[in-house]
Amino acid sequence: MLQSYRIVGAATAAIGAAAFYGGSLLPPVPGQNVGPNVFPMVTGGGLFLCGMLIALGVGRRYEQEIEADVAAHAAVHVGAQAAAQIGAQVGAQAGATPAPTQVRHGPLHALRVLVPPGLLIFYALAADSLGFVPTAAIIALTLCRALGAPWRSAVLVALLAPPAVHFAFADLLRVPLPPGLLPMPW
Amino acid sequence: MSNLTQAFALVAQPDVILAILLSSLYGMVVGALPGLTATMATALLVPVTFYLSPIAAIAAIISASAMAIFSGDIPGALLRIPGTPASAAYTDEAYAYTRKGQPEMALGIGLWFSAIGGIIGTVALLVIAPALAEFALSFSTFEYFWMACLGLMCATIVARSSPVKALASMFFGLLVSCIGIDNPGGTPRFTFGMTDLMGGVDVIAAMVGMFAVSEVMRFMLDQAPPPLPKRRFGSILANQWKLTLEFPKSWSRGSVVGIIVGVLPGAGADMAAWISYAIAKRFSREPKKFGTGHPEGLIEAGASNNSSLAGAWVPALLFGIPGDTITAIAIGVLYMKGLNPGPTLFTNNAPSMYALYFIFFIANLLMIPLGIMVIRMSSKVLRVPYSIVMPIVILCCAVGTFAITNSTFGVIVAAAFGCIGFILQRYGFPIAAMVLGIVMGTLVEQSFVASLIKSGGSILPFFNRPVALALASITLLCVAWPVIGWALQRSRRLSSAET
Repeated sequence: MLQSYRIVGAATAAIGAAAFYGGSLLPPVPGQNVGPNVFPMVTGGGLFLCGMLIALGVGRRYEQEIEADVAAHAAVHVGAQAAAQIGAQVGAQAGATPAPTQVRHGPLHALRVLVPPGLLIFYALAADSLGFVPTAAIIALTLCRALGAPWRSAVLVALLAPPAVHFAFADLLRVPLPPGLLPMPW
Repeated sequence: MSNLTQAFALVAQPDVILAILLSSLYGMVVGALPGLTATMATALLVPVTFYLSPIAAIAAIISASAMAIFSGDIPGALLRIPGTPASAAYTDEAYAYTRKGQPEMALGIGLWFSAIGGIIGTVALLVIAPALAEFALSFSTFEYFWMACLGLMCATIVARSSPVKALASMFFGLLVSCIGIDNPGGTPRFTFGMTDLMGGVDVIAAMVGMFAVSEVMRFMLDQAPPPLPKRRFGSILANQWKLTLEFPKSWSRGSVVGIIVGVLPGAGADMAAWISYAIAKRFSREPKKFGTGHPEGLIEAGASNNSSLAGAWVPALLFGIPGDTITAIAIGVLYMKGLNPGPTLFTNNAPSMYALYFIFFIANLLMIPLGIMVIRMSSKVLRVPYSIVMPIVILCCAVGTFAITNSTFGVIVAAAFGCIGFILQRYGFPIAAMVLGIVMGTLVEQSFVASLIKSGGSILPFFNRPVALALASITLLCVAWPVIGWALQRSRRLSSAET
């Protein structure tokens, strides 16, 4: 825990120091004592200071109190989820005791978070050449599967969602979506 | 009077009515899905508002956010999973009603008192904003600077996190606002030679990233909520009038607290609900009944979170300082539509302002029939699999940011800010403070630099004018508040240890 504070604090302070240094390099405006360098230096300095305080553990008590509060809330919430999953209202009434079965994940499980931003970058790079509909279909299919949808639903979403989004944005709102390999017939 | 007639004519346009209806339905559905927040609903709506008339655009945002805040109560009451953070404070109370076999009672209270709170909030907006606008006309850059600083400080104080991390988050936001050539010297700052960054980071693309993309990222790791068992509801509004007469103090106090919290920059509907629920319990004659399916807390917090929505528009319209994350997005839309926030908005564009009040009233009245409809359809709405909803959200993020920025760079910005938002949240940095920093960065810098140029580099004029001095004192008190609180607690602990 303390280690994570040190790392987060050091990273924040490093960004602050870089901003301060980057700001100090900006040229002043001739004839004026305040230029474009002042604000980044003030902001960078503030960020550096905050980073140092985080690294020293200042404010940790607040977070521990909030975490305890959230954990107490989540314990009840998880119990209710488990109860709802077995469809038994009685289960929830009996208390928040039933713990949900813990699913074991592989070491690569955490990397799944990179799928949504990765797909957006794929859209930015491929939409012009492939066109909106094929790119959107690939995105929908990949994300559906990554979220655990069965192949049938994923293919259905990949086939139906892109033309629907195309209709809403390109036809109704006149957003110029790239036609690429598969222009819409309407 | 002519202003009122003109405003009515503006709202009666078919495109405005259609925008209110469709965005209300959209807000109801998005708010009812656990994890999809009212802010996310608003962020995803912005690209659509780009193509609407100014009044229709504002109508869409107001309607969608008001509906989403209410409909967040639906999964809270039925599944014990709040649909939006604004419903989290009283989810246990609402679910206690479901356990007693009376879910319609909890949902009816949420719906009825949300509408009442929303209407009281609108009346407050109608009264406070024009009065404050006249006062604000005399503000100079010094007052604007302190006003903006006070807004930023409030956001860090009210954040449910470590004050240091909230402050750091705000500085991150200010740093993002430094990017580009929009600065006193017109010099490219932090652009790293990229022409796409010359115009700065697009605020809407950044917010779509932080509020929508980061949520989808969170869903990649979290478990999806369980499906709702099928259920038939009794009368939703039965007994609500009786409760209104029985607990007048609860809904009126909740509405007032909501307005005050809403006006405070950075504090939104969720904060209002938490505070109001705590107040209701503290001053109740039957505090032991709280958590067992008692109406007082639900009434007070339900009225509070919706009244805060209107309250948040007061600083947004007057100073361009967002009262919450929804108005942070709305300010971008106001600028986009030529309705630049400021006190002159009320003198030069009075019909538009009256139209805004009308829209608030309509949205809060429309909430009742639409709410009943969505509650009755809830078992179908809550059965939509997330593996289908999330790909559509991501597609809307991609197309929406492209539509706003007219460049694929906007899509990359959304992806990057999605990652930033996700990481910051994971490490306990409140993203609302960062958003406030991004939105208010330009205002802070411009008023700071203009004031320094006026004063010839001297700091003294920042404290010379009475209003500036008062604002500066409150701001500095806000900065010192966490330290004072820490010192007080420490001295109390030491004295108790001695005894």
